[in-house]
Amino acid sequence: MTAWALFVPELSLFGAALLFLALALVRTIRPRVVFLAALAAAALAIVLGLASLSAEGMLFGQSYRIDLFSQVFKVLLTLGLFLVTCICGDVSGVDRRRHAEFYLLLFTCTLAMMLLSSAVHLLSIYVALELSSYSLYVLVSLRRTHELAVAAALKFFIVGIVSSAVMLFGLALLYGGTGAVYLDELARALPPAVDQPLVQVGLLLTLCGFFFKLAVFPFHIWAPDTYQSAAHQVTAYIATASKIGAIAILMRMANVSGGSPYLVQVLVGLAVLSMTVGNLAAIAQKDLKRLFAYSSIAQAGYVLIGILSLTPEGYAASIFYSLALLVMKFLCFLVLVVVAADGADIDVAHLAGLHRRSPLLAMALMMSVFSLAGIPPTIGFTGKFLIFNAAIERGLLPLVLIAMANVVVSLYYYLMVVRAAYLIEPAAELPKLQVSPVMKLLTGALVAVMVLCGIYPTLILDLSSAAAAALVK
Amino acid sequence: MEFTGFPYLTAILLSCVTGLLVILFVPDENRSAVKWVSAVFSGLTLALSIAVFLLYDTARGGLQFVERAAWVPSLGIHYLNAVDGFSLPMVLLTGIVFFTGVLTMWELDHRVKEFYAFYFLLVTGVFGLFMSLDLFFIFIWYDVSLFPMYPLIAIWGSTRKEYGAMKLTLYLLAGSALILPAIIFLHVQAGGTTYDITALMQPGTFSAADQKLAFLLLYIGFGILAAVWPFHTWSPVGHVAAPTAVSMVHAGVLMKIGAFGVLRVGMSLCPEGWQFWAPLMATVAVIGIVYGALVALSQTDLKFVVGYSSVSHMGIVGLGLSTLTVDGLNGAVFQMFAHGIMTALFFSAIGYIYERTHTKMIPELGGLSRIMPVASGYFILAALTAVGVPCLASFWGELMVFIAAFRVYPIGGVFAVGGLVLSALFMLRVVQRAFYGPPNDKFVHLTDVSFRLGIPRMILAAVIVLFGLLPSILFDVIDTASVAFIKGLP
Repeated sequence: MTAWALFVPELSLFGAALLFLALALVRTIRPRVVFLAALAAAALAIVLGLASLSAEGMLFGQSYRIDLFSQVFKVLLTLGLFLVTCICGDVSGVDRRRHAEFYLLLFTCTLAMMLLSSAVHLLSIYVALELSSYSLYVLVSLRRTHELAVAAALKFFIVGIVSSAVMLFGLALLYGGTGAVYLDELARALPPAVDQPLVQVGLLLTLCGFFFKLAVFPFHIWAPDTYQSAAHQVTAYIATASKIGAIAILMRMANVSGGSPYLVQVLVGLAVLSMTVGNLAAIAQKDLKRLFAYSSIAQAGYVLIGILSLTPEGYAASIFYSLALLVMKFLCFLVLVVVAADGADIDVAHLAGLHRRSPLLAMALMMSVFSLAGIPPTIGFTGKFLIFNAAIERGLLPLVLIAMANVVVSLYYYLMVVRAAYLIEPAAELPKLQVSPVMKLLTGALVAVMVLCGIYPTLILDLSSAAAAALVK
Repeated sequence: MEFTGFPYLTAILLSCVTGLLVILFVPDENRSAVKWVSAVFSGLTLALSIAVFLLYDTARGGLQFVERAAWVPSLGIHYLNAVDGFSLPMVLLTGIVFFTGVLTMWELDHRVKEFYAFYFLLVTGVFGLFMSLDLFFIFIWYDVSLFPMYPLIAIWGSTRKEYGAMKLTLYLLAGSALILPAIIFLHVQAGGTTYDITALMQPGTFSAADQKLAFLLLYIGFGILAAVWPFHTWSPVGHVAAPTAVSMVHAGVLMKIGAFGVLRVGMSLCPEGWQFWAPLMATVAVIGIVYGALVALSQTDLKFVVGYSSVSHMGIVGLGLSTLTVDGLNGAVFQMFAHGIMTALFFSAIGYIYERTHTKMIPELGGLSRIMPVASGYFILAALTAVGVPCLASFWGELMVFIAAFRVYPIGGVFAVGGLVLSALFMLRVVQRAFYGPPNDKFVHLTDVSFRLGIPRMILAAVIVLFGLLPSILFDVIDTASVAFIKGLP
C-alpha cells in the first residue's frame, strides 16, 4: 500500500485523464467547465508533486525509480501543464466539441512524461516515450481549419515513428552488447563495454529517440511545421513541458553511458549543429511560432552542452536551465495567445504597437526573449552561465566560445521581436488588448520569477544540485 | 557578511533601482512627475557619489567602502562592492553624467516614462560595474548596462537609428561573448571556488599561458566597448543615432566601462598577459588615435566628428594603459574621467542646438555663435578641452600619457602627438565653420539657451575647469591605486 503512495502524482493525472475521457462522451458540457476542471486537476497535480518531492523508492519490480531527480522533473512537468492550462481559457484553435479530448491528451502526455522521468527499464522508457508521442501527434492534428495541421501532424508522425524505430534498434543492440535491460545494470555493464562498436552504435541510436523529442539536429525537421500548424496552446505545450521530459530521460541515459569520449564527441557535434542551424534559420523566419521553433532547436543545443559535461555540475545546470526554458518560453506563448486571441497564426510584424496595446505584455515579451538570448539579469542568462561553467570545467572552452558566438547571432532575431513590439507602429490603430487581472498577475509573477531566479539562483540551484546528486548516486 | 559603516555603494545602486521602480508606477500621462522623480533620484545618486569621493581616505588607499555578502555559496559568487583609486573617479563621473543627462532631456515629450525607466536601468548597470569586485556581478552589470541601449537608441534616436542600435547591440554583445568564457575560464583555472577578484588577483594564481589567453579574450571583449580600433565602427554610428542623454552616457561613461574592464579584470587578474600583449595594445591604440583624428577631419555631421574624436581620445586611454607605468595609468584614468565629462558636454551642447535647428550638419549651421552665443560657448569649451588646452581637464590626462608613452614607445608617442595635432585641426575647423562666419538666415530667430536649461551644461563646464585647474584632486586618488598596482607587478 505504501508503495502506491509513491505513485500518487501519476495517479492523479491518470484520474484526471479518465475524467476527461468521460466528459468527452458527454457532448453537451460547456467548454468553460472543462477548462476549470483541467485547471483544478493541474493545480492538484502540482501540489501532489511538491508533497512527494522528497519521496524515494522503487516500483514495479525495480523498473520505476522515484528519487529527487525524477520528482523535481515531475514538479516541473506539472508546473508546465498547469501553466499551459492557464492559457487554455479560450482554445480558439480547437473545435469546441473537442475540448475534453484536448485536455485528455494533454494530461496523458504529461503522465507519459512523468513516467519517462522515473523509468529505469529500457522497455518502460520506450513505452512511456511512445505514449507521450502519440498524445502529441493527435494534439497537433486537432487544430481547426488549418490547411497544414494534418500535413504537419503527418510529418511529425513519420519523423517520430522513424526515430522510435531507430531507437528500438538501438535498444536491441544495447541489450545484445551488454545483456542489460535495467539502467543500473547498464551503468555497470557499459563502462567496460563502451569501446565495442556494437555498444557505441546501440547507445547512439537509443539516444536518437530522445533527440527527436528534444528537436536536436538532425531530428529537428518536424519542429517548424508542427509548431506553426498546431494550436497555440499545443505549441506552447510542445515547447515547454514536452521538452522537459526529454531532457530528463536524456540525462538519465547520458549518466549510465559510462563517459565514453566517443559519445561526448558526437554530442558536442550535435550541440554545435543544433545551435548553429537553429539560430541561423530563425533569422529568416517571419511567422512567430516558426521563429520559436528554430529558437527551440538552438536552445536544445545549449541544453546538450550541460548534459555532455557528464558531471553533476553539468546535470544541475541543465535541470536549472529546464526551469528557465519552461518559464521564458511559456511567457512568449502567453503573449502570443493573448495577441492572437482568434487562434490565427501571426507574424512577428503583427506584434506592432504591442507596447501601447499592453505595456505589461510588451515588457514580459522583451524580458523573456532577452532571457532566451541569455542576457542578464534573467534566469536564461544564469542557466547558460551554469552550463558554460560546467563545460569549461570539463575543458571545453572552444565549445563555449562557439556557443557564445551563437548567442550573439540569436540576439539579432530576438531583437527583431523586441523591435516589433516596441518600435513598429501598426498601419491602423489597434484597440488595447483585453488582459484579465488573473493573466496580469500570472505574467507579473513569471517576470518576477525570471528576474529573481536570475540574480539570486541559490535556492533553485541547490535543489538542482541535489537532484543531480540523486541522479549520479 | 561584512559591511564597514554606512553602505554608500549599495545606497547608490538602490537609489537608481528605487528611482526606476517609482518611475514605473507613475501614471503615463504625468510627464513632469516622471522628470521630477528622475531628477530627484539622479540628484540623490550624484550626492552619494560625491560623498563617496570626498569620504575616501587617500592616505590609507586601497579598497574602501567594502560591502561583502555571500550570494551563491556553491559557486563562490559574492555580492562584493568596493571602490579604489581606479573606480572612484568613474563613480563620480557616472554620477555627474547621469544627473546632467536627466536635466538635458528635460524637454523630452515622446514616451517619457519608458525613456527614463530604460535610462535608469542603464545607469544602474554602469554603477554596478564600477563598484563590483565579483566577476559574476561584473558580467551581469556589463550586460545590464548594454541592453537598454537598444530600445533607447531605436525608439528615441535619430539618423538611421535602428541600424545604429542593432549594430551597437550586436557588437557589444559580441564583446561579452568573449568576456564570459574568459571569466569562467579564470574561475575554473583558479580551482573553481570563487569569482572574487580580490582573491583571484593573488600572485601565482594563474599560469603565464592562461593569463595570455584570458587577457587576450578580455582585452578584445572589453576593448570593443572602449571602441578600440579596429572594433570601433559601432561607436560613431551609435553616438549619432542616440538621443542626447544616451549619447552622453554612451560616450561619457559606457566607453569607459570598456577601458575600466580591461583594467579591473584583464590587467588585475592577468598581469603577465598584460605585459605580454602591451606592445599590441600600444600599436592599436596609436592607430586608433591617428585614424580617429583623420576620419573626424572629413566628417560633416557634428555628432560624427565627436564620435570619431572619441575613438581617438579612447586611443589615448589605451596607450596609457599599455605603458605599464604609474604615469601611464594615472594619465589613462584621468583621461577617462576628463573625456567622459567633455563628451557629455559636447553632446549636451549639440543636443540643444539640434533641438532648435533640427540639423547636425556643419555646412548648414554657420555663425551660430552670433545667434546663440551661450549654447555655442559650451560646444567651443568642449572643443578646446578636446584639443588639450592647458587648464582644462583633458590636458593633464593627455600630458601624463604622452610623457609615459615617449619613454616606453618613442615612435608610438610621436604618432600619438601627431594625432593630437590633427585633432586640434579638425576641432578648430568645426568650430570655425559651425559657429563663426556668416549666420544662416534660417536660424536667426532661434533663442539662446536659458539659464534653467543651461544648468546641466554649466555643471559639466564647471567640472572641466575645476579639474583642469586642480588636477591633483583626482591624481591623489588615482595614485593610491596605480602606485600599488605597478609595485605589485611580477
